[in-house]
Amino acid sequence: MARGEIRLIGLTKRFAEVTAVDHIDLEVDPGEFFSLLGPSGCGKTTTLRMIAGFEQPSEGRILLDGTDVAYTPAHKRNVNTVFQNYALFPHLDVFDNVAFGLRRAKRPKSEVRQRAVQALELVQLGGLERRKPSQLSGGQQQRVALARALVLNPSVLLLDEPLGALDAKLRKTLQIELKTLQREVGITFIYVTHDQEEALTMSDRLAVMNGGKIEQVGAPQDVYEDPETLFVADFLGVSNLMDATAQGARNGRCRVRADTFELAAGSGAIDLIGPAKIVIRPERVELESREAAAGPNRLPGMVERLVYVGSAVQVIVRVATGEVLQVLVPNSGKVLPYEQGTPVQLYLPVDALRVLAAPQEGEAEPVEPQAVTDASGHS
Amino acid sequence: MSSVAEAPVAPRPSAWRRFRGWLSNPWGRPRFLPLVTWGYVVWSIVPVLIAVQFSFNATRSRTTWQGFSTRWYWGDPVDSVWHDPTLRDALVQSLKLAVADVVIATPIGVLLAIGLARWHGRGSGSSNFLMLFPLVTPEIVMGVALLLVFTDLFTFVGTGTTAQILGHVTFSISFVVVIVRGRLFSIGRQYEEAAADLGASPTAALTRVLLPLLMPAIVASAAVVFAISLDDFVISQWLSKGGETDTVPVIIYSATRAAPLPSTNAIATIMMLLSLASVTIGFLVWRAFTRGERQAGQSVVRDMGTAPRVGDI
Repeated sequence: MARGEIRLIGLTKRFAEVTAVDHIDLEVDPGEFFSLLGPSGCGKTTTLRMIAGFEQPSEGRILLDGTDVAYTPAHKRNVNTVFQNYALFPHLDVFDNVAFGLRRAKRPKSEVRQRAVQALELVQLGGLERRKPSQLSGGQQQRVALARALVLNPSVLLLDEPLGALDAKLRKTLQIELKTLQREVGITFIYVTHDQEEALTMSDRLAVMNGGKIEQVGAPQDVYEDPETLFVADFLGVSNLMDATAQGARNGRCRVRADTFELAAGSGAIDLIGPAKIVIRPERVELESREAAAGPNRLPGMVERLVYVGSAVQVIVRVATGEVLQVLVPNSGKVLPYEQGTPVQLYLPVDALRVLAAPQEGEAEPVEPQAVTDASGHS
Repeated sequence: MSSVAEAPVAPRPSAWRRFRGWLSNPWGRPRFLPLVTWGYVVWSIVPVLIAVQFSFNATRSRTTWQGFSTRWYWGDPVDSVWHDPTLRDALVQSLKLAVADVVIATPIGVLLAIGLARWHGRGSGSSNFLMLFPLVTPEIVMGVALLLVFTDLFTFVGTGTTAQILGHVTFSISFVVVIVRGRLFSIGRQYEEAAADLGASPTAALTRVLLPLLMPAIVASAAVVFAISLDDFVISQWLSKGGETDTVPVIIYSATRAAPLPSTNAIATIMMLLSLASVTIGFLVWRAFTRGERQAGQSVVRDMGTAPRVGDI
């Protein structure tokens, strides 16, 4: 039973001034937890709204289990949405909110009652049936929104930044709950978020979107470890970017020249020749004292700043090429023997150093990630 | 501590300075604005109170107080509101127009508001602007225009009750549209989308979700329509056929010019209480309906405000 398979083919949405979604192709497997990740304005919400039926595509097809639903009105699609602000009907109590869809589907009274109560128990809200949405906390409202959508047993559940309005701690708890719930019910989830950590921890696969296009699709680990574009490298956690010139591959690694330094990069576009960017995650850079053994792939530098972030210390180092790199040193309880102005050297392991094509003229530079989260969690 | 004790003590300010401080102290309660506010309240309410007082005068005088009586309401067998056919008919006519106005203008205005708020195409901007027209057009112009329309163009209407109702509906629809549209914008589209998402047809979304959410605005606008219809003089006068189609304001106007009796004050007081009652009821209903939203702390209200998410496309 292939229920909950979504295929987007050349899906495009143009508004008066902008193309919000630009010919995207995407396949989401049944039962998958799939995230659309990107900064605001990247087209992820518009994509979701087209799947839900709130926006009509300018072009392209939306196949739901093989049927094109692009021109089916929202109320006739077997998909349900959890809205960012929940959109619980304020004039109805919790039970009536959850029963709303069942009643529209003209289900018999006993079935409405039974399924609504069951859905509320699924989200651990049993006993709150007669509360008004305004009498619930943010987290509880979020659960009601979830129950209201799940009770209809949709093929696909669409979630539009459902945890965005909650505080950090509650968000973490609900992330885990949501993931568990999704495994339990086995419904395809399409989850829109701008929070890279959320997308990485919850998804089976995710698509990184930018400027109405999909930059990369893959499992969280693939996308994080092997970003294909500069944007992805930058958006998924903090990345150190350096200008360099690629000089082609030798022995399966790319020789790059950054300023006057020769480096070897073991991943990315290793066949590249010409202007390039080299990328390395802060948690993969190794901080050494100047006296340590000299060797390949090392850059001398000077500590500029130490930033204590709790689980780790961020060391900001200005290297000899003039660029500033971030090094993330896990907090092991020891005091780092560095301070502002200490001369150090950075070891950039070959397998952690990645070459990517430098963006062409006119192409958008990657934007800064909105939330600089504790990147050590992914290392 | 010693250093604190040794700090120099500021000299006691002069009486004038202290008065200035009392009047405008940035840390204290505002004094000046309440003074202005209360001044205005007294200024505007005193004439009304005097008029009301003389409706209870025991004699025919409207200027000299000669004891309390209710003769101008129902006591006097000839000239009281209850017994004078002119006054009674006027009261009945005013109520008739007001009720008809509410019954006709409110539903049309609600539909117009929904239509205008949801219509984003060529001409939507000018239509929205046109809705404000009756609010800013001098009523006398509208009255004359309507009279010409009903006596020259649509002669089957003529003057009288039908014309008056049509006239009242014409200018009161704007009030309904403005009030309901404001509420529509603060509700946003998300509840309709949620309803559609849950399988509600457009009709079901309207009746099950949108109209209940609009209810406070609908009741409030009905109350406003009732009050302004009772209040209206110009259009009621222009479109009146005379006789029993004269409304209370028209009667008061002509009575005041002829030989005013305290019964005029009495009927004015009744009108005022009716307007006040309708607006109070409207306000109370609004409050009762939206209580949940305010209780939700900021969350629901804020969510409503930010509902159309233009930013994230």
